[in-house]
This record gives sequence, structure tokens and C-alpha cells, in this order.
Amino acid sequence: MEFAKYIFKRILQTIPLLIIVSLISFFIIRLSPVDPLAELRLNPSISQETLNKEIKRLNLDKPIYIQYFSWAKSFVKGDLGYTSAGEKVSVKLKERIPNTLLLTLVVIFMTWAVGVPLGILSAIKKETAFDRMLTILASIGMAIPSFFFAILMLMFAVKTGWFPVGGLTSYDFNDLGFGAKIIDIAKHLCLPALVLFTISLSGLQRQMRANMLEVLDSDYVKFARAKGLSEWKVVFKHALRNAVNPMITLLGFEFAGLLSGAALTEYVFQYPGLGRLILEAVMKSDINLVMASLMMGTIMLILGNLIADILLMITDPRLRRGGE
Amino acid sequence: MINKIWGKLWRLIFILLIAALCLKACIRRDVPRHFPQKLPDSSIENIIYPDKNKNVTINGIDFLQTQAPVGKFGGELILSTIGEGPKTFNPCNSKDATSSSMAGMLYDGLVTTEPRTGEVIPLLAKDFEVNGNDYIVHLRHGVKWSDGKPITADDVMYTYQEIIFKGLGNPSSMENMKVEGKLPSIVKIDDYTVKFTTPKPFAPFLRQLSTPIVPKHYFKPYSDKGESEFNAFLSPNTPPEEIVSNGAFKLKEYVAAQRVVFVRNPDYYKINTQNERLPYLDKVVYMIVGDTNNEILKFEAGELDLLSIRGENVARYKLREPNSDYKIYNLGPDTGTLFLLFNLNNRKDSDGKWYVNPIKQKWFSNRDFRAAVDWAVDRKNMVQNIAKGVAKPLFTAESLNSIYLNKYIKGHPKDKKVAEDSLKKAGFYNKNGILYDSDGNRVEFDLYTNAGVLEREALGVMIKQDLEDLGMKVNFKPIEFNTLVNKLSNTNDWDMAIMGLTGSPLEPNDGKNVWKSTGPLHLFNQRPQNYKVDDRLEWEKELDEIFELGAQKLTFEERKPVYDRYQTIIYNQKPIIYLYSPIRIAAIRNKFKNVFPTPLSGLVYNLDELYIEDGELK
Repeated sequence: MEFAKYIFKRILQTIPLLIIVSLISFFIIRLSPVDPLAELRLNPSISQETLNKEIKRLNLDKPIYIQYFSWAKSFVKGDLGYTSAGEKVSVKLKERIPNTLLLTLVVIFMTWAVGVPLGILSAIKKETAFDRMLTILASIGMAIPSFFFAILMLMFAVKTGWFPVGGLTSYDFNDLGFGAKIIDIAKHLCLPALVLFTISLSGLQRQMRANMLEVLDSDYVKFARAKGLSEWKVVFKHALRNAVNPMITLLGFEFAGLLSGAALTEYVFQYPGLGRLILEAVMKSDINLVMASLMMGTIMLILGNLIADILLMITDPRLRRGGE
Repeated sequence: MINKIWGKLWRLIFILLIAALCLKACIRRDVPRHFPQKLPDSSIENIIYPDKNKNVTINGIDFLQTQAPVGKFGGELILSTIGEGPKTFNPCNSKDATSSSMAGMLYDGLVTTEPRTGEVIPLLAKDFEVNGNDYIVHLRHGVKWSDGKPITADDVMYTYQEIIFKGLGNPSSMENMKVEGKLPSIVKIDDYTVKFTTPKPFAPFLRQLSTPIVPKHYFKPYSDKGESEFNAFLSPNTPPEEIVSNGAFKLKEYVAAQRVVFVRNPDYYKINTQNERLPYLDKVVYMIVGDTNNEILKFEAGELDLLSIRGENVARYKLREPNSDYKIYNLGPDTGTLFLLFNLNNRKDSDGKWYVNPIKQKWFSNRDFRAAVDWAVDRKNMVQNIAKGVAKPLFTAESLNSIYLNKYIKGHPKDKKVAEDSLKKAGFYNKNGILYDSDGNRVEFDLYTNAGVLEREALGVMIKQDLEDLGMKVNFKPIEFNTLVNKLSNTNDWDMAIMGLTGSPLEPNDGKNVWKSTGPLHLFNQRPQNYKVDDRLEWEKELDEIFELGAQKLTFEERKPVYDRYQTIIYNQKPIIYLYSPIRIAAIRNKFKNVFPTPLSGLVYNLDELYIEDGELK
């Protein structure tokens, strides 16, 4: 009951937030001096009539606030409208969402499965050669720009021929057997996943290490040690449970990032994900597409935080008491 | 202690490793440092082209017979398309090049272009007769849509009457067919004959018959429902097996942002000299790639069979060609033109504010000022250093491969002296290396181009230097493409710009949106829509007349001098200063045969005739 009330309250709070976010982003995009019909205009074979028809279809002849209201009205009804090229926004998003989910889920799974244990390990083995090595690698991982790393990986793929150059499936994908299909996708996923993995791993590893160190330094751990508990028990039963709390908040953010995609990496690898779609849409001021993705991002962020908060309430008894 | 030494050792090994890797990367070079300055010799002059197609009737079916050598059936060709891929497969609704070419794979028009001479030849039509304003088109008997229904005059009537003339989809095709506001008429004579009549002589009409013909029984339910239904019809997500088409290839699958796959149409009406139905290839795949860099990588990795090679890469590919599995062709200058544009706008906006500062208006509207800029820019230098020699200097409004090119315009090299004289004549004076106009204002203006295109940014820097040699101050501002177009066509608040357009090498009338004074793309003096005041410059009036007249002359011999004149006017008045045209170089894998590249049509216009040599098939 208490949970339900809390969740309901949080959801109510999101409504003004959504309105403000949509207002600000809509006006910023529309007021920028970008012409969504630029490509059409520069095509000598396009007549004035075609341009007028497009301007009318996209409501560009109306004042901005009317454009906003007509967008908001259809958004509330669940209609995301059409892109400036005349395709359904919902269809475009649906094409890309599975691809982006696939990539981000693989990457999140890999980083957490590797990053958390590595963080714990380097906290326990603080200041040893192993820890230093990890520190160096993490610094490199954090310092290297994702697009640059992605380009290096692409060149690697071209020179060795071990991996396909970008994309998600081979051209003859549909003629392959089931097993071959899975191998084909895995081959295409390897490099982009590796790039994103390397970059997010370092952050996560450092975060976990810092949390763990802080907890290992606290009085109750010293007390547990003094009690004569085995090191194993001290670390995993007492320290880890407390060190993991900030990570849950982080997991909430990861959830928000599920659908936002990694535009630069996707672009370099020509990965058919949402990030690339949105990047191209922003450059062309394709308002319905940009707004749909921004709203999706906002909702995912709110949801992610909500989930993280609920998880925290479950794991951390202190918060539950505070909530009353 | 030991721990510390180990730590240091680790670090040392690590640094050495990184250094070694970096050095290794520097040592390896696959091309010599010195590139040959000469253009690669891969001319297409020695190619022996097959004879022209013939009509052959077998068992009551009117086939089109290619005279190209007989090939082997099977195999696939993998091409690429840059950008986001097709937005529709509806040929009547395509507004961008990718969508048009994809829809063009599926739907044939009545006529097409002879790839070498550029003349109009029959395709879906068996033949056609032109008598003054009448165009009688005979259709082929026994030719079928992909669902087995015959292609008849009803389909042609439907395509023109109910789609194009109604302005459904992309109304540009309707607008382009209008003569003085009137559309041609179309009459069905019998099931396999239609007659078009233009209200006045209208030369571009014959070529406009290449508009794809669509199946009435498949399109009509959607065109009847009106505009929005028709626009959504044949979107890229249409199930491919539903699509009824008549092209050499049928759609097999579309995967968003990845590829479009076409398969052979077994019922296509083109045959080889052994009377076997074409096309030879089983599949044609278009990979959707985001940019040219990715295209190059994919070609190098063997994932593409064809690559257009740009400037700086040509020398590298040419050097590798002897040990490679591809052949390079030089297709000559392409239809793209790069130019420098002045804003001659002398109007005020709706708030009564000048679009262009009146001081600058005075400079730009002065022909001698524009001539000075023309003489000051160094085209040879641009071609050498920006296009790496893979381009030709350009002085005409028609592109260099146009059949209407005015060959009398020879152009001129850079000459700073002439430029300075021209400025002096216009009343400008130079004091301590700074240029002032006759009223004592310093000559300073903005030069825009679209950011992100290396070629144009380099051009901007070079032009800025050339003009600053004359004492002008140029503020070079690369801005985002869509923002630039907004400036050029809506807000008009710009001084000079570097832009590019693609023209048609066959039909100069296609440029009327640029040259007519009320055209939506009359960039150098953009008038607002429905502008009533006649403030045309003398030579703008003449251009308007030329484009009216040129369209009404029917033969090439009559039209040529008219369009020669328009190029002369542009060259003399210089509202646009043409810089250069890139030369098209393309590579295709050796295993493909029946490759007959032409400057007009490119490398693989004959997808239905291409085949893969024996032993290369998988």
C-alpha cells in the first residue's frame, strides 16, 4: 500500500516535468534556424507547388505555439505523427528499438558482469601491481574518445577481415540457417559492443572500487574484523551489501540509457540503432522524430530513477524508515 | 622493495609496448609517398559498345532484345547507397534521389535514354512517333506486371490522368509538364496505343515520358482514397511480396538503415540474342551506408562490388589496381557543379529591413566587382590542391558532360591584374592593402558554405585568400547545411556562398527553377513567392525569355543556340561564378562483364545486362 502510494505520487510528479521538457525542447528546435526542407529546396527538379505542399503538411506555415499544441494534442492521444520525409514516427522507432536494446543489453550485461567483480577485487587488493594495472587500463578506457576507438576497431576489421565492417546483419542474412543467423549477428555485434564495453567498464570499475574502499574503511567492518570473522565473510556479507547501494542508483541511470543509444559509436559502425536515427533527425530538425525520442528518453529516465528508488527501499532499511 | 621494482618494470614494459605499436603503425605504408600528378589513364574510349537494342516478336510477345554479348545467369551484385535509404517505393511520390532510383528499379517508364548519345529510345513502349505536338506511343503486346496481369494502355492512362495530372504524390512532375499553365492531354486509341498532345510545342515532354508507369489495378484503391493514403502507400515497410511491379528486378526485402535487396524478375521483357530472358543476375543488393568513409571501408573489406572514388583516393586505388580484383574507369566530369554565389537581392523584408546591407548591395550588383572576383579566384590551384587533380575547371552554367554545353566559352586563368583593373573601373580603391569602395566604405563581407564537407571548407579558405589579396576582408563562415539553405531560400541574409547543385546533362529546361526570375531556386536573387513587382534586371528578363523559348523549340539543332546564349549571359554577368566539376572515377570488381560505362549514364546503368564470368559464381 505504502509502495503503491509512493509510486502514484512519483508518477503524478512526472506530468509537469514532461510538459516542461517538451515545451523547452520543442521551442529550441523550432527556433533554431534550421530548415527541415533544405534538401528538397536545393533540388532543381522540385517545384514550388511541392514545397508548398510539404510546408502545409508539416505545419511550417503556422506560428510555433500552434505547432506545439497540435503536436501535444496528438502526443497525448498516443499518435507520434510523421517524420519530415512522410514516414510514420512510430514505425521508424519500432524498426530501431530492438536493435538498440540488443546492443545496450549486451553491453550493460558485460560491463556489470566484469566491472563489479573487478572493482571489488581491486579494492581488496588495493595498491598492488594488479590494482595499478587496472587503474592504468581504466584511465585509458576513460580517456579514449568512443568514436576514435570505434574507428580504430573498424580499421582493424578491414585489415584483418575477421569482422564485418559495420551494420548488424550480412546482406544474405535471410538465406542463412538459424544457427548461422545468430553467429552472423554476434559477429556484427562484437566490435561496437567491445567499444562501448571498454568505455563504460572503466567508470563502473572505478565507482565500485571507491564504494568498496569507503565501506572497507568504516568502523563496522573494522569491528567485524576484530570479531574475528573470516575475510570472506567480512567482504561479502558486511561490506559488499553496503557498497552496492550507490550502484543501484547507477543501474537506474543505465536503464534510462537503454533506449538513448550511443549515437557516435552507432554512427561509426553504421549500426541501425536509435542513436543514429535521432542524430540524423536533429541535424534536419525533423521535429516529430526528435520530440518522440526526447519524450521517450525523459520517460525512461524517470522510470529508471523510480525503479532505482524502489530497489533502494528494498535493500536499504534506513530509507524505508525515512519514508514514513 | 621488490614490489616497487616490479611496479616500475611493469610500467616500463607497458610504455615500450605502446611505443612499439605506434611505431609499427608509422612504418607500414602501402603506397609510395609520391603520388603521380597525372590523372590515371582509365579512359573509356577503347570500349567497344554493343549495337542498339532491337524489338523482337516471339509468340506474340514484343520483346526488347539487347545486342550485348550473351552472359551467364546467376550471382549477385552488391552496391551501396549513401544516406538513410529509400523513404518510399512509390515512384510517383519519391522526392529524393535514393527513393527515385529504388522506385526506378521496380518501375519502367515508356522511354529511356540512350546511354551514349543521350537520345530518347523506347523502353516499356515498343516505339513512338512524334508529329508536331502529338506523341503517339505504341505499347508492347504480351508484357506483364509481376502478378501476371497484362500491361495495357489503361495503365498508362491511369498513371498520367489520375496520378500525375492530379498532382498526387510529388506534384513537381505535373508542374514540369505544364506549358503556360496547361497540361498535355492524353487519349487512348486502342488497348496498346495512346496519344499525348501538348498544348504548345514543348521539347522537354518527350523525355518526361520516361516517368515510371504504375499498375492501375494495384494503385487505384489507394489513389482513390486521396492524398494522405496515397503518400503512405508503398512505404518501405510494405511486405515485398505484395508489390506489383514491371522492372527488371523485384523487391525482396528492405531492412531499415541496412539494405534493400532486389531479385530477378523472371518475366522481364528484355531478352539476349539467344532469346533468353534477362536479367542475368539473381540479386542486386543496395547496402545503406551513412557516409563515403564507410563506403570505402566496405569496398576494401570486399563487402561492396562498386565504389565511386573521390579526389584524394584516386591515386592510391590506381596504384593498387594491377594487383587487385577491380578495374577503374574514368567517366569524365560529372553533373555536379561547385560555384560561388553573390546575393543580388535589393529588396526589403516584411518589416521594412534590407535583406542585404545597401552598401554591400552596391558592390554585388556591380558587374565589374563580380568580374574582379571571377578573375581573382584560382581554379587551377583548386583543382590541383583540393580535388587532387581529379576535376576540371568550370566556367559554364551547364555541366561539362551536358550535350548542350556551350563550347565557345573557354574561360580564363587567374589574373590579379585584370581583377584589380576591374575594381578600379568600378570605383574601388586600394589604400595600404585595404580595399575601399567609392564612398570610402571598407569592402568586408561574409562567405558561407555548409560545414562538414571538407572540400567546400577548403574552397572557402582558398577563395578567402585570393580575395584578401585584393584587399577585401572575407569572413568565412561554414555553417550547418540545413541552416545555410534556410538562409539562402528563406531569410536571404547572406552575402556570398559556396554551393553545389546537380544538373541534368540532357535537359537544360530542368534548370528553370534556378534561372527563371520567379523560380524557387533563383538563389542569387530570390524573390518572395507570388511577388508581383517586376524588378527584373535586363539580363534576368532575357533569361526568362530564353527558358520559355528553349522549351518550345523541338529539335536539338534549334535549341542548342538558345541555350548557348543563356550560358553566355551567365558567363558575362557572373551572378554565379563556377569553379570546377569533379571527375567521376569508379571501380568495379573484374568478375562483372558487360560493363559499358558512358560519361552520360555512368557505370552500371545496364543492371539487367551485367553478368558474372564463369568460375566466379559461388
